[in-house]
Amino acid sequence: MAYSFPEEVLEHVFSFITSHKDRNVVSLVCKSWYEIERWCRRSIFVGNCYAVSPKIMTRRFPEVRSLELKGKPHFADFSLVPDGWGGYFYPWISEMSRAYPWLEEIKLKRMVVTDEGLELISKSFKNFKVLVLSSCEGFSTDGLAAIAANCRNLRELDLRESEVEDLSGHWLSHFPDSYTSLESLNMACLGSEVSFSALQRLVTHSPNLKTLRLNRAVPLEKLSTLLRRAPHLLEMGTGAYSAEPRSDLYSSLQDAFSKCKQLKGLSGFWDVVPSYLPAIYPICSRLTSLNFSYATIQSPDITKIVSQCPNLQRLWVLDYIEDTGLNALSLSCKDLRELRVFPSDPFVADANVSLTEQGLVAVSDGCPKLQSVLYFCRQMSNSALTTIAKNRPNLTCFRLCILEPRAPDYQTLEPLDAGFGAIVDHCKGLQRLSLSGLLTDRVFEYIGTRAKKLEMLSIAFAGDSDLGLHHVLSGCESLRKLEIRDCPFGDKALLANVSKLETMRSLWMSSCLVSLGACKLLSRKMPRLNVEVIDERGDLDSTPDHCPVEKLYIYRTVAGPRFDMPAFIRTMDQEPA
Amino acid sequence: MELELTLSPPNQRRQPTKKSGHGGNTVTKSPLLSWSQEEDDEPNKTFFTGDYQQDLDGEGQGLNGWPPLHSWRRRLIEGEWFNERVDEEEGDNMNEVNNIYNESLFVKVKMDGVGIARKIDLNAFHSYQMLTTTLLHMFDKYVEIDEDGASYTLMYQHKDGHWLLPGDLPWEMFIGTVQRIRVARN
Repeated sequence: MAYSFPEEVLEHVFSFITSHKDRNVVSLVCKSWYEIERWCRRSIFVGNCYAVSPKIMTRRFPEVRSLELKGKPHFADFSLVPDGWGGYFYPWISEMSRAYPWLEEIKLKRMVVTDEGLELISKSFKNFKVLVLSSCEGFSTDGLAAIAANCRNLRELDLRESEVEDLSGHWLSHFPDSYTSLESLNMACLGSEVSFSALQRLVTHSPNLKTLRLNRAVPLEKLSTLLRRAPHLLEMGTGAYSAEPRSDLYSSLQDAFSKCKQLKGLSGFWDVVPSYLPAIYPICSRLTSLNFSYATIQSPDITKIVSQCPNLQRLWVLDYIEDTGLNALSLSCKDLRELRVFPSDPFVADANVSLTEQGLVAVSDGCPKLQSVLYFCRQMSNSALTTIAKNRPNLTCFRLCILEPRAPDYQTLEPLDAGFGAIVDHCKGLQRLSLSGLLTDRVFEYIGTRAKKLEMLSIAFAGDSDLGLHHVLSGCESLRKLEIRDCPFGDKALLANVSKLETMRSLWMSSCLVSLGACKLLSRKMPRLNVEVIDERGDLDSTPDHCPVEKLYIYRTVAGPRFDMPAFIRTMDQEPA
Repeated sequence: MELELTLSPPNQRRQPTKKSGHGGNTVTKSPLLSWSQEEDDEPNKTFFTGDYQQDLDGEGQGLNGWPPLHSWRRRLIEGEWFNERVDEEEGDNMNEVNNIYNESLFVKVKMDGVGIARKIDLNAFHSYQMLTTTLLHMFDKYVEIDEDGASYTLMYQHKDGHWLLPGDLPWEMFIGTVQRIRVARN
């Protein structure tokens, strides 16, 4: 069609298409759509930083304003990925500082960021607005100082759960007095005390401040001062929530909270002294999000709080909440969408709290909108899992961690195959699943055949043989990420499903039974995969082919093998032998 | 049924599925093995005795990266952050609930090579011998222990933080100073 819509019209239409998946599809329609789309794409998501190179990105997309980039495999969160693995941000910032002078947003996850990188960000983009560093490492508060000093238009600085070398709290004082655009600050992961007067000044000069997450070093005595200067806050993360019982401090705090009429989310609550908790009662009815997962509050106190939060949509909490608290939750919080229950004492077999599978069953029964679950517990049964599945077919994310590996159904002592089978059977929209407990190959047969929308699967200490892995790789139509540890899966299943691996983002296998020879074979046949073997035990050059590798990370890529890894990581040779 | 290692196209029953929407590049690779269902395919039994033990960290907290908690959160837990306060309160509550003549004295016991620690009430024992015997039986479902436990050494952490060998102190004094116990492999 020679006379189709003018480019401007198409561009305008495309501007309404924001989902990355949709834009990718748009670009495949025809050559001219590809061209128009690539010039007007403003936001890029790279789920694996090694799947593509910075130059490939800047060559194809010249006008990017926002980049989201992920580095290390998910199991890096649990220290299963050795130091030095990779995920370096510098090559990206180096290229972008040249190619994207108008860049506004950088969001990184599990990447190694350096102070040089942060400094380069701060000096390269006049309109830089948003920096999110999620589970990143490799930088210090000096890098943050550069951001604070130079990014005049910064709106958001979020350091969630990053490992920052905390040289001092002085970095915050680098925000100039003229700086007024701050909307969101999350410094909860930092240890050092920042200058309170600098913090106070910053808050006072930020009329658009919506999110403020303090670190533990900010004492409770100072909290009301900050709240009073930021009454339009939507989300607040307290610092330490403890002080000597003082009625003047208490009423000041309660007063400050109640003046925050838009406050919807709370977090922090380090070192909680229960007598100060009622200060938040006046705002409970407005709360949609509560993160108590660092708070050592006992069940009666948590129960009192959640019972007053009818609008709660998200609750993160420690297992101190116990079954009784979860029962109260199921009765009071009918709008609950997401529940995460973390263990308070995970390295001990015997329970320190009365939290069992019953708590989760109650919530699944009482909360009709529950979609996302992360639950650590010590016992589970097939009947409980089946009940949960039937109660909540709308679950999209189900992550269960029974603390003891290979723990069977505590009532029947059978494997939990049937229970998880019920989950994938009833929850037809399930996108993410983490398994635990005693599981045979059978559960993987259920998953492979029934979990049609499953995109991410995490497996640990499960299965009997390669058949288990084969079920997953030959089924699970939507699978993108598969991570496996300590399972008896070997060469057969992998080599029988090679083409599946190109349809996925990545596969991680550690402490399994895949041999070095199979890795080499796989790599030779699949040039568009990087097959990386990680082995810190010895010399990979002298390891015989039949030996199982320690860890294996396979991902699809258009950038070829990478060269930034330490000696104990090798990309299997892609040249035929 | 023998497994065939072959680079030829897959057998008729197992056609690889083609994904649509991949532009011009739908080259599906034939699997490198034909999958054949072997009824006598033995589950990989040897897996659990060998490599499993090697992965267990005898020192620290046991299995590497388990349970799956973000390293940030794990550091807080290992710093005993969530338990300092609670233990004090728990102790009080338990004393009220229990017989007042028989207070509970729970300590953690960690055995080398076993991922999960246990808790025991020292007041339930009256001698080192009872303690040793009980500990050995407590863990025998996780690891093989010879009858007299000769390959293991009992150690305890004193209140002041040092690790010591038990036996020097009379039992009553011992239970007053012990913070936690470790069953170390020789």
